[in-house]
Amino acid sequence: MKIQFTEAQRALRDELRAYFSQMMTPELRAECERDMGEGGGPLWREALARMGRDGWIGLGWPEEYGGRSLSPLEQFVFVEEVMRAGYPFPFLTTESVGPTLAEHGNDWIREHIVPAILAGELLVSIGYSEPAAGTDLAALQTTAVRDGDDWIINGQKMWTSLAHFCDYTWLAVRTDPDAPKKHKGITMFLVPNSDPGWSCTPVHTLGGVRTNATFYDNIRVGDDHRVGEVNGGWKLITSQLNRERLSLINFGPISELFNRVVQWARETTLPGGAAVASQPWVQANFARCRTLIECMKLIVYKQSWAMTEGTLGMADASAAKVYGSEGFIEVYRYLGEVVGQAGLLRSDSAGADALAGKIERLYRTSSIITFGGGTNEIQRDIISAAGLWMPRASR
Amino acid sequence: MDFGFSDVQVQVQTLARKILDDKVSPATLARYDEYQQERFDRDLWRTLLGAGLPGVAIAERHGGMGLGFTELGLFIEELGRSLAPVPVLTHCVAAMLPLQQFAPAALQERVLPAAARGDVLLTGAFWWGQPGVPDDPVDATLEAGGLRLRGCCEGVPFALQADKVLLAARHADGTAIVLLDTAAEGVGMSPMQVTHFEPHYRVELQDVLVPAADIVCHEGGEALLDWTRERCIAALCAQQLGAADYAMRMAASYTSEREQFGVPIATFQAVGHRMADCYIDVECLRLCAYQAISMLNEGGDATTEVQIAKIWAGDVGHRVSYACQHVHGGTGIDRDYPLWRYCLWLRYNEMTLGNSSAHSADLGSRLAAGQALFN
Repeated sequence: MKIQFTEAQRALRDELRAYFSQMMTPELRAECERDMGEGGGPLWREALARMGRDGWIGLGWPEEYGGRSLSPLEQFVFVEEVMRAGYPFPFLTTESVGPTLAEHGNDWIREHIVPAILAGELLVSIGYSEPAAGTDLAALQTTAVRDGDDWIINGQKMWTSLAHFCDYTWLAVRTDPDAPKKHKGITMFLVPNSDPGWSCTPVHTLGGVRTNATFYDNIRVGDDHRVGEVNGGWKLITSQLNRERLSLINFGPISELFNRVVQWARETTLPGGAAVASQPWVQANFARCRTLIECMKLIVYKQSWAMTEGTLGMADASAAKVYGSEGFIEVYRYLGEVVGQAGLLRSDSAGADALAGKIERLYRTSSIITFGGGTNEIQRDIISAAGLWMPRASR
Repeated sequence: MDFGFSDVQVQVQTLARKILDDKVSPATLARYDEYQQERFDRDLWRTLLGAGLPGVAIAERHGGMGLGFTELGLFIEELGRSLAPVPVLTHCVAAMLPLQQFAPAALQERVLPAAARGDVLLTGAFWWGQPGVPDDPVDATLEAGGLRLRGCCEGVPFALQADKVLLAARHADGTAIVLLDTAAEGVGMSPMQVTHFEPHYRVELQDVLVPAADIVCHEGGEALLDWTRERCIAALCAQQLGAADYAMRMAASYTSEREQFGVPIATFQAVGHRMADCYIDVECLRLCAYQAISMLNEGGDATTEVQIAKIWAGDVGHRVSYACQHVHGGTGIDRDYPLWRYCLWLRYNEMTLGNSSAHSADLGSRLAAGQALFN
């Protein structure tokens, strides 16, 4: 047991930090701000491809996919640093769908799709939820029906975030409507968003972030677009979600935000001349946030380490998701209190401050994280069952 | 970054757990409830000494195992799991470790091998300090033969049972650290009854002479105090982790068997979710405690990490204790069921050497001074 970076890991972090501080030009930063911290713009695309060319995206991936064969911990350090720099990294594609495709995909997927992901040239949106299938995901009704060697796909998905600038959708469909257990009739496909039968309409959210409803109208795909076994999609979904839960909890940006707010409070004075940071309640908020984020850091490092060892458990992935998502919201609140009324001004308002405006937006956008990626109630069910062996009520 | 245990670490854990499983049970612990007997299982202590565990972090040349603070911390976690009535935190963490780090060679050679064997029992008077309010040193005057002490030390665990007490003494030129012989003339002890029945004493010193050979340092004792306090805090966190984890698993298992409305109460989400929150809490404590222990083992600056671990130890101890009692219903407070003793220890560890609010206030002021930021 040695819970500290090795020299090599520290050096990697410093190298990444230098790389990203140079990559994040004011123009790119402005574009990302305009896109609500989601990405998708031309400069954003260009930067992603550059990271791919420079071999960063596949840092922890095997060389056969164009990676560098370092461990998941180094991969995590990369994601932490790119996000700390303020770049909206498409981690759902690279860190959760990508590895699932590499593990379960056929030759075409492993030879064409996965390397393109690592090159920063291909993005995948996730098509799970439907109007009537949310937490009970196995109730989904979008169908794929065999037609000769092909499949014909029809249906509608909800909350297909990023789909409007992604290349494919990782799509869960029903292939056996008569399966005795509904989760045994689901198959995974990779559907091109460029297909004429594919369409999407925006859904605008509280945080200002756009998500989508996506529609699948008689889309014909070859069997090579199927991932995993027919009717064997459920375990791919759970494996992807386990990875997603971990990648949602990234402490790079929040530790950076924390440091900046502390710095701001040290340098900013109250009308009487004392520093904002001299107030006991401000110090109490800082201590709470510091204590909370420290654990977030340790949880994700431990899980990256467990992935390297092949021992990542379901309970721990769910624990990270619950702790991290609820922690983010608390930290945004406490830091928002410190910046005060400025934290209510939208970043394009008169009198707005870049740091406080960021907190104004983060507070609005963070309500998604306690239910996105699997609602926290379900995560707590998983924790008590898988972590403490407690029986669960039947559903 | 390595969160796993080495083979040697697993051996230490396994050895400790085997001995403690054999020798400690609710029935043996019941003997000490309400101070019926002095809470010190000497038979268990001899067995642990025979296995070498109290000397795990002491150099081989002094008769120890020659391992580090990490291994000692893992041993202490097992003690927390079993609530073993033995003086490991006082003897090993508050006395042997600082002696090994700071005492002159002659004093080390005289005391450490005997302490590792168990021929001499040590304790340290460092358990009443709070952040920013360290234990008050006793008063001292320099004399030809050594230091003459007067005053009193509050809350010294196992002081009556110990042969020697490590303590701080303030004199005209600074703060000295001495190893007081409890049999010396002028030493008095008054028992203090603590919530969890551990034998604690007020040590009263009336013009006690400590000979020069038993002086660890004449001045600059603050460095030893800071160094020792951090290790005592980390050790309390390890003990808290063991106790909290055990209490949580007891509650998980009880609620899985206890039926109401014809089903195990664990199947109610309200119960399952409360236990899931305990699981997350205990995991946070585990990670922070291990990080603090691991950093102290490496010897670098761990001020912030130790402080954060103690904040978690306090908060988690409180929340897990009450959640476990609550889901047990009346059984949790019934003294025929073992949970209640865990709750007392969780409370003691929570409040000792700085509660969460006091450490948070200190951390907050350090942040406001530009320290302890993320790097």
